[in-house]
Amino acid sequence: MALIELDEVSKIFGFGDATTLALDEVSLSVEKGEFVAVMGPSGSGKTTLMNIIGLLDRSSHGNYSLGGSPVSRLKPNRQAKLRRDKIGFVFQFYNLLPHLTVLENVALPLAYKGMTPVRRAKRASDILELVGLRDREYYLPPLLSGGQAQRAAIARALVNRPSIIIADEPTGNLDSHDSRVVMEVLAEIHRQGNTILLVTHNPELTRYASRVIYMYDGMIAGDEQTAIGHMARHARRTYFKKQKATDDDIAAGVSAMLKDVPGTEVTTKAKRRKAKGRKRGLRTRGSKD
Amino acid sequence: MFSGNLKSAVQNLRLSKWRTIFTMMGIIIGITSVVTVVSLGAGLKHQIVGQINQLGSDVLTVRPGKLLTKDGKATNLNLYAFLAPSTLTPRDVESLQGSELVNSVTPIEFITNSASSDNGEFNDLFIAGTSPNFAATLHQNVQYGDFFTDNDETSDSAVIGSDVALRLFGMLNPVGETIHIMGQDFIVRGVLAPTQGGLLSVAQADYNSSVFLPTKAAESLTAGHTNILQILIQVKKGTNIDHDVGVINSRLAQNHGGTGDFTVLKQDQLLGVSSQILNTITNFVTAIAAISLLVGGIGIMNIMLVSVSERTREIGIRKAIGATNRQILRQFLTEGLVLTIGGGLIGVVVSLIINVLLRLYTGWKPVISVPVMLLAVAVSVVAGVLFSLIPALKAARKDPIAALRGE
Repeated sequence: MALIELDEVSKIFGFGDATTLALDEVSLSVEKGEFVAVMGPSGSGKTTLMNIIGLLDRSSHGNYSLGGSPVSRLKPNRQAKLRRDKIGFVFQFYNLLPHLTVLENVALPLAYKGMTPVRRAKRASDILELVGLRDREYYLPPLLSGGQAQRAAIARALVNRPSIIIADEPTGNLDSHDSRVVMEVLAEIHRQGNTILLVTHNPELTRYASRVIYMYDGMIAGDEQTAIGHMARHARRTYFKKQKATDDDIAAGVSAMLKDVPGTEVTTKAKRRKAKGRKRGLRTRGSKD
Repeated sequence: MFSGNLKSAVQNLRLSKWRTIFTMMGIIIGITSVVTVVSLGAGLKHQIVGQINQLGSDVLTVRPGKLLTKDGKATNLNLYAFLAPSTLTPRDVESLQGSELVNSVTPIEFITNSASSDNGEFNDLFIAGTSPNFAATLHQNVQYGDFFTDNDETSDSAVIGSDVALRLFGMLNPVGETIHIMGQDFIVRGVLAPTQGGLLSVAQADYNSSVFLPTKAAESLTAGHTNILQILIQVKKGTNIDHDVGVINSRLAQNHGGTGDFTVLKQDQLLGVSSQILNTITNFVTAIAAISLLVGGIGIMNIMLVSVSERTREIGIRKAIGATNRQILRQFLTEGLVLTIGGGLIGVVVSLIINVLLRLYTGWKPVISVPVMLLAVAVSVVAGVLFSLIPALKAARKDPIAALRGE
């Protein structure tokens, strides 16, 4: 029995003329222990898929069963409890509560579970040890570097020993060094037997994954098993094509040479995403043919 | 979980200190005014009860107007009964004096409000005519000099209250001094000991700022137009008081042509009538004070709504990591409750301070009782739940995805 079982799941946003089909009869099954990288252009439905798997959202049609039991039509309260016990989220912008210390942030899911303060502080502390942030327990999140904040967020996602960890562009906001540290932490978690879903724009990161899913226009356009340590075949193709300078880059006078070293993009985040979205959207379609 | 909510609520409120303080201000003012008004009412009531008890159960009070219903309960407060000229006459006094049931009869007859001495004129006095047995019937001590006696009935002697003595004559010994009332001179014969009592006391006047003249002198001042506020009757001991009331009623009814435009009150009935007047006034003023509490509560609701939309993202994060709607609801309810209970407690403390200041610098003697304080706290709890419910529901029902985007 697969851990995640999606059966022709669709998601529709909006009404009438403004209807968007964000997911178009997606069927997917993920086994326990898989490290799935989800790639695809902006607007291809990656995040919607993650939100549905993470029980933040519910599908318009289709069935979803998590760990063998159907969960797509649960009441919000039951969904919240499943989210608390079975799912760990890691977001691009960390989403730590700025007024709570790192320890309190990590312990928050346990608080919602009703664990006593002493026990949850101990558990949170142990998890922080695992991500190498034991010495930052009493810092407030704004005082942490991006990499540290993201590791704290991973610790928070892990603290309830969830069945699935959903990481939506966890390195999207980090420099190459911090990205590597964060990915190593995720890889370590994966080695311990956890199931990880990783949304990324960076083909380099498929090296950590055991399986890569390509999404396009709300459908799964490609599904590929890869060996850990190797970049996915299709991702590699998009990666090398991506190295070409875009018109925007030339206009900005940015040398394409600078981008040859993996993970050292110097363009601003907004510009990079814009460029990626446009260019890679076309590439992925090309790779599908 | 609750202690966690409490901690995070206090933490959040401390983050925006000034906002918290000003939000609480509404509740503080509301609770302070309600508690102060109620305690002033309670204080007055306390004084009146004390005075009436001091009067003793063998004293009956006759008042103009119909103040009791047929079954002996106090009627609804009728202000016209107080505005109308008194229906009691000197003839009533005389006929009561003739009764063998009666030990003594003491009329209290309003004359004017103004008297002067060499120190100046005072217009806020209660100047009344009464009989020599006034001091004995009311258990009123005379501090200096004597009360006037039967021999002084027609003479120009006066007995003054302690405040009057202080204001008209300062540190001088007032006994033997002259005061001028409506163009006539009166010689001060005695000064009453200071008494408890506000405007709503037994005589509907504060004895400390009263001047008492013999009845005959009073009648000469008012040219026979008497305005008898009340007649105190001390009945003989060992008689059945209800029987006495009946006899007095019928005796007076003869004088009044059978109309019931007067009321004979026993001690407990007097208590009822007096507290009813007081309760009516207290309730009225409390209602006005409660409006400020309402406004304060709406202020809290407003700020909570702002806070909920400011913290949309936080709500989204909390929901994503597994907070249920109810847990979010509780978090915001706790915050509202901390605001209102905090405001309520501060309000109680402020009203205690006001209480002390009033006792020190005014004649009021407010009484804050423990039940009133508990009630104030209970009211703030209710206000907290009531006014933070809508914002908390709004927070709880936010869609986690939209909230995570910060919308």
